[in-house]
Amino acid sequence: MTETALIQRLREAEGLVVVGKRIQRLDALGKVLGVPLYSSDIVPKDALRLKVVRSTVPHALIRRIDTDQAKGVPGVLAVLTAKDIPGINEAYALLPDRPLLAGTKVRSQGEAIAVVAAVDSETAEEAAGVVSVEYERLPAVFSPLEAMKSDAVRVHETGNVAKYLKVRKGNVEEGFRQAHVIIENTYKTQFQDPTALEPEVGMAWLERDGSITCVGSMQTPFYVQAGVAKVLGISTDKVRVIQATTGGAFGPKSDEMPIDTCAISALVAYRTGKPAILAYTREESIIAHTKRHPFVITLKTGAKNDGRLTASDALVVSDTGAYASLGPLVIIRACFHTTGPYVIPHVKTDAYCMYTNNTMAGSFRGFGSPQVHFAAESQMDELAKKLDMDPLDLRLKNILRSGLLTATSQLVDEACGLEECTKRAVDASNWHAKRLDLARDRGSFRRGIGIALMYHGNSLGPEGNDYAAVHIVVRPDAKVVVRTALTEYGTGAISGLAQIAAEALGLPIDVFELGRADTASCQETGPTVASRVIVIGGRATQIAAQKLKEKILAVGGDILGCDPSKLTIQNAVVRHSDDPEWTVSFQRIVEECFKRGISLTETGFYAAPKCEFDHENSQGTTYLQYTYGAVVAEVEVDMELGVVKPLKITAAYDVGKAINPLSLEGQIEGATIQGLGYGLMEQVTHTDGIVANPTLGDYYIPTSLDIPELQTIIVEFPGAVGPFGAKAMGEPPIDLPAAAIANAVAHATGSRVFSIPLTAEKVLFAMKERQR
Amino acid sequence: MTRLAKHLVRLNVNGRDHALIIESNERLLDVLRDRLNLKGVKEGCGTGDCGTCSVIIDGRLVNSCLVLAVQARGKRIVTVEGIGTRENLHPVQKAFMKYNAAQCGFCTPAMVLAGKNLLDHNSTPSRDEIREAISGVLCRCTGYYKLIDAIQDAAEKLREDKL
Repeated sequence: MTETALIQRLREAEGLVVVGKRIQRLDALGKVLGVPLYSSDIVPKDALRLKVVRSTVPHALIRRIDTDQAKGVPGVLAVLTAKDIPGINEAYALLPDRPLLAGTKVRSQGEAIAVVAAVDSETAEEAAGVVSVEYERLPAVFSPLEAMKSDAVRVHETGNVAKYLKVRKGNVEEGFRQAHVIIENTYKTQFQDPTALEPEVGMAWLERDGSITCVGSMQTPFYVQAGVAKVLGISTDKVRVIQATTGGAFGPKSDEMPIDTCAISALVAYRTGKPAILAYTREESIIAHTKRHPFVITLKTGAKNDGRLTASDALVVSDTGAYASLGPLVIIRACFHTTGPYVIPHVKTDAYCMYTNNTMAGSFRGFGSPQVHFAAESQMDELAKKLDMDPLDLRLKNILRSGLLTATSQLVDEACGLEECTKRAVDASNWHAKRLDLARDRGSFRRGIGIALMYHGNSLGPEGNDYAAVHIVVRPDAKVVVRTALTEYGTGAISGLAQIAAEALGLPIDVFELGRADTASCQETGPTVASRVIVIGGRATQIAAQKLKEKILAVGGDILGCDPSKLTIQNAVVRHSDDPEWTVSFQRIVEECFKRGISLTETGFYAAPKCEFDHENSQGTTYLQYTYGAVVAEVEVDMELGVVKPLKITAAYDVGKAINPLSLEGQIEGATIQGLGYGLMEQVTHTDGIVANPTLGDYYIPTSLDIPELQTIIVEFPGAVGPFGAKAMGEPPIDLPAAAIANAVAHATGSRVFSIPLTAEKVLFAMKERQR
Repeated sequence: MTRLAKHLVRLNVNGRDHALIIESNERLLDVLRDRLNLKGVKEGCGTGDCGTCSVIIDGRLVNSCLVLAVQARGKRIVTVEGIGTRENLHPVQKAFMKYNAAQCGFCTPAMVLAGKNLLDHNSTPSRDEIREAISGVLCRCTGYYKLIDAIQDAAEKLREDKL
């Protein structure tokens, strides 16, 4: 056990008061009253309404943009294009490939070309309709595999590969020589839309001193600040970005779209002097914002007759659409997790993130992990079938355990809860009996049960500098504010930080309030992504709280006339360890601090250790700790129609430590159903680069009538990094539902569907194929 | 732009009467949000698919983005602002807090209304009846489980209060 894990275990033994309790989140009251202000609820009265003119073709040179007629529409104040941008016309996250407003070329549908600013939305929309864009169509490429060919259409001058990386462990040829059985399959996944219920929105206005203030729906205010400053050609200290209450995010609101909404609004404010708001319609949102990358994954797997895995050779190809967005990071996570949570001595993985002329993919909960887990876990079941083994037995023979090595040769530390999760999910779902019983189903409705296992590298790992800053402010009335530019967008994670602070400070949770994420009052803190608020932000919170606690106890010692080291604080009372009656209240100490001029504002800054690994072969420590999990799915399939009805999901996760089990269940339940939608119904369809279903009437997400019974099981094997051993849990529960459901469908029907979503059509065709 | 006819429309919203001059094409959603400042009514799609703009009109849960304000003439409309107050929450709101049924909060006003409207008509709903009652409102955060648990709990509380 590492030293930090040991310290955390010792702390736990002390008995936690606030952490680990099912506590109502701090923003719950406002939310049930409907009072929080989302961006569209706080639009300045004189704000101009914006409408973006977007490309209607997947690949073309722009010959001419005619805005004259639009400018003549009464009520229109400005029609702006690329040439109106005073700074640099770029809005990319990683690779310098995407302009804010396309001026000479478009590479996909939905690219912003011009923006119309008008007195109301109807006028803006009407005028946008008469902006004419003359295109010279170019040949286009819509398949990532086609895009890999040497004679393929080039989406960018730099070529179509946005990122390539590989894993090399052992000697894969030798591994296949040792194998008695080798199988090879290709799996495909689709574009998934995140469908936050609040579409993208941003607004901006000029302050009297010439600076710009932006308010919007977002995950990462400092990225937006940098993006806006670049477009306007001003320094970042002239741009203030405030996060409004945000109605769901799921990744894309950490990506490039909040830069677009705020920078386009800021551009209009800068050019017209008036406040401006850009609110996407749902259709615009589905077309323009980042979606989950479709993958094509070819897996060749070798095993001994007894089921021991010997080798894995994988080709993983993602379609990032016309722009990289965070695709190059998504492919890293996918590449490192391609084998699933198994010990394989010889591993070779080649992973490519490819440009195409489809709409842009990017950051989305799971970040490449749901795709590779669908493939890896389908492959395990196919291998079990070939070996005539129970798929559970095959997995248990190969799963990661303490002391073993991952595909990237990372040594698994002692706290590996994978086997425990598997056992608990198997027992709770009655796997053994059902696996036998359900196979006897005959007739036109047949049930099946499937299992899938996962591991999920926590926090940023190889994806960036992993640090966080959290401020804790004690006010004169002894209320405590937790403020950070890590953002709340639904998860409850910032309330979790307050819980961690409450534990450290010995205060009840009800004295806490949440501050607002605002670049003017918060230190730069890295992005709110990768489920890292609790894991990394929690550590920063502990540091800030510890500093405050020392001050409070010092003043408490003065008041009581004793050595502060003799004092403890619990439930807002500072108490001498020798005499429980010898006390002073937190409130009294706060009053004293303000009287003496002692600041009770502290900032905690925590930077995670770097992940050390060989970047050539991707061998070493790729993540600092892992979340583990096992999901069992039970389904019923209509054998005549192919329709899949999910009956029950049993999900067990090794979460390290549940800071707030109530919030944690919320993450598991929400991600499970978002993952179920991914497995069964959700798919953004492109026809020659044009999105065919950009409305919620044509793009289905699960409703309350589509959900199965769900049982969640929380396993706690403390991790090395997170506070109290906590592990990342915002994203991981989306990794497995599709995989477990696919395996359950194969069990029910005897036929494998090698792609998701498992639509009735595909299930039916797979059955027909098998009969033939 | 074509000039549209204007109408004097009386609406009863959250128990208060309002007389408004309304153009033919104004959506009830916009009138509630922009004229009456009831920002708890949300717009998630504008095409009647997501249900976040739901309000109760004469005892029925309706997408306010699909209703012209003139169509609501003389009707009794309830939004989340008419359900409970900080000091006096509706049992559905209390249960939503207790069960963590609100995450991002964007569908919450509509879900509160869906739950309240169900319990107004059915004091002993089954889980399936609750699922049916909230099925017109999409939620992407909760997977619906905590919403269903909360509404079931609120139903029990309401029955206890009546005893």
